[in-house]
Amino acid sequence: MDKLYVLCVDDQREVLNALTQDLEPFETSLMIEECESVNEAWEVMESIDANGDHVAILITDQVMPANTGVDLLKRAKSDPRFQDTRTVLLTGLATHQDTIDAINTAHLDNYVEKPWSKEGIHQIIKVLTTKYLLSKGIDYNEYTEVLDQQTLFETLRKTT
Amino acid sequence: MDGLTIVEQRVIAIFFMAALFWILEPIPIYATSLLIIFLELIAISTKGLNFLVESGSPEKLGSLIPYKDILHTFASPIIILFLGGFFLAMAATKYRLDQNLAKVLLKPFGENPKWVMLGLMIITAVFSMFMSNTATTAMMLSILVPVMAVFLPGDKGRMAFTLAIPFAANIGGIGTPIGTPPNAVALKYLTGENYISFGEWMVMALPFVVVLLLIAWLLLLAIYPIKTEKIKLTIQGSWLKNRKAYIVYITFALTILMWLTDFVHGMNSYIVAMIPVAVFSAFDIINKNDLKNISWDVLWLVSGGIALGLALEASGLAERLVQTIPFGTFSPLLIISSITIVAMVMANFMSNTATANLLLPLVAALGISLSSLDAFGGNKMIIIAVTISCSMGMALPISTPPNALAFATGAIESKNMAKPGVIIALIGILLNYLLMYLLGIVGFFNVQ
Repeated sequence: MDKLYVLCVDDQREVLNALTQDLEPFETSLMIEECESVNEAWEVMESIDANGDHVAILITDQVMPANTGVDLLKRAKSDPRFQDTRTVLLTGLATHQDTIDAINTAHLDNYVEKPWSKEGIHQIIKVLTTKYLLSKGIDYNEYTEVLDQQTLFETLRKTT
Repeated sequence: MDGLTIVEQRVIAIFFMAALFWILEPIPIYATSLLIIFLELIAISTKGLNFLVESGSPEKLGSLIPYKDILHTFASPIIILFLGGFFLAMAATKYRLDQNLAKVLLKPFGENPKWVMLGLMIITAVFSMFMSNTATTAMMLSILVPVMAVFLPGDKGRMAFTLAIPFAANIGGIGTPIGTPPNAVALKYLTGENYISFGEWMVMALPFVVVLLLIAWLLLLAIYPIKTEKIKLTIQGSWLKNRKAYIVYITFALTILMWLTDFVHGMNSYIVAMIPVAVFSAFDIINKNDLKNISWDVLWLVSGGIALGLALEASGLAERLVQTIPFGTFSPLLIISSITIVAMVMANFMSNTATANLLLPLVAALGISLSSLDAFGGNKMIIIAVTISCSMGMALPISTPPNALAFATGAIESKNMAKPGVIIALIGILLNYLLMYLLGIVGFFNVQ
């Protein structure tokens, strides 16, 4: 079975801990990975790809020392290896311009404001995982607990 | 079995490999089909690998199969029939014909949950006769799931509704030759004097679908009574009124009409299937991008089945098998009942199409040789009986993709599905016998 990764990027340890704790219910189906900087995240993404596994979802903070979250998202979107990776900007401090950049250049899938709600982030993970699985043609039957029903039905009804 | 030719031995080997792979699924089921075709081309075709197909004297080697015949299975008339069905379904979805039709058809059933459920089941069954059972289930569940919240906590009606859709889709697929792939596989063996037209198939299968659907409805209501008093399903959308949409409506209606009236215009269902393919492509209703949504895996799964049947027949193995095993001494009723039950059990644990791919070539050979079957309708009868049994996979989430989708909603557990599923499948088998008996009485199986 292909491994699907969810990458969480934030320079604050306590935020990462809180986030991964909220994502715990998905750990049976998804690999949750924590990174404290953009550079670290990129290295992790490259090694996941090199192993033939999938970076399904990238959740990143915006304001971090050195590179920002939007930098990471842009870089990912312009790289053929991570074209299908679904992205979430999780931030309290993104400026107007950052947000515009994230949408226009990095084709952001979801914008989540801190503090996030557990149910909200769960729903987003489900929808994005389902979209990722379907776009990659991975057998969704092995991921039933992380599937979003409506997204699945809407796609399947278009097939023959 | 003495005197098996080398080709026949290889066909046996390929058949056992196919059976193992389709049952255990170490690789995707369509990949097994492709492997069958590939191995046949290499090992038993006229243009196979030289040291394989030139080994031994011609008598020992047996009859090689023309490689073109094997490759033709990819574009056999049966595959084209299915492709036509796919084009119809894709255009209907793209121009929202399915959703709008569902909206209109559901209206008369009101808001009483019992009747709404019957309405949903009828619509699902009708759609799955022309669309894939999976796509139909996905569409109907996407209508149903948003209103599931209206069910009171602990109301078993939620389970009844969730199960109604996949069961209706499984049952509805029996209704037409293009309803589900096992029917397509059966068409390979319903040729010559056993030929069955699209219309004849529907005349034969529709009563069965209607009765089993009603039984499934009553059974689900009895097992999972609905406590909620009112349910309102809202289906979004309105009829499209542009040029392309009208072309879709007209072509859809025309194709079905032509399928049913071959005795008037003389074109068989395979040729009629090209109407939607040609018209929708010409008017850019189905474009290059839409072609990517065609389930080539389903088509190739059927191709592999056809190729397997071809190898059994053309190598002479089917005939030899029948001559060697003394089927003639068995009671015909015992044969019919055991093979339909085997088909039903297999369909519950593996792909319905793979079940048909494996069983139908054997059954077809058996039907020809067994003169004692003639009194009950002969070859045609046993092929149809087994094909219907292949659609009785109801009991488990893995039985069919519709079951898997319903299970994935989380509204039901395996055991909730198994109880009504097993009962419906068993009733379906008995009803199948009744249908065959009645068809025999009215002379449906008489050789034309």
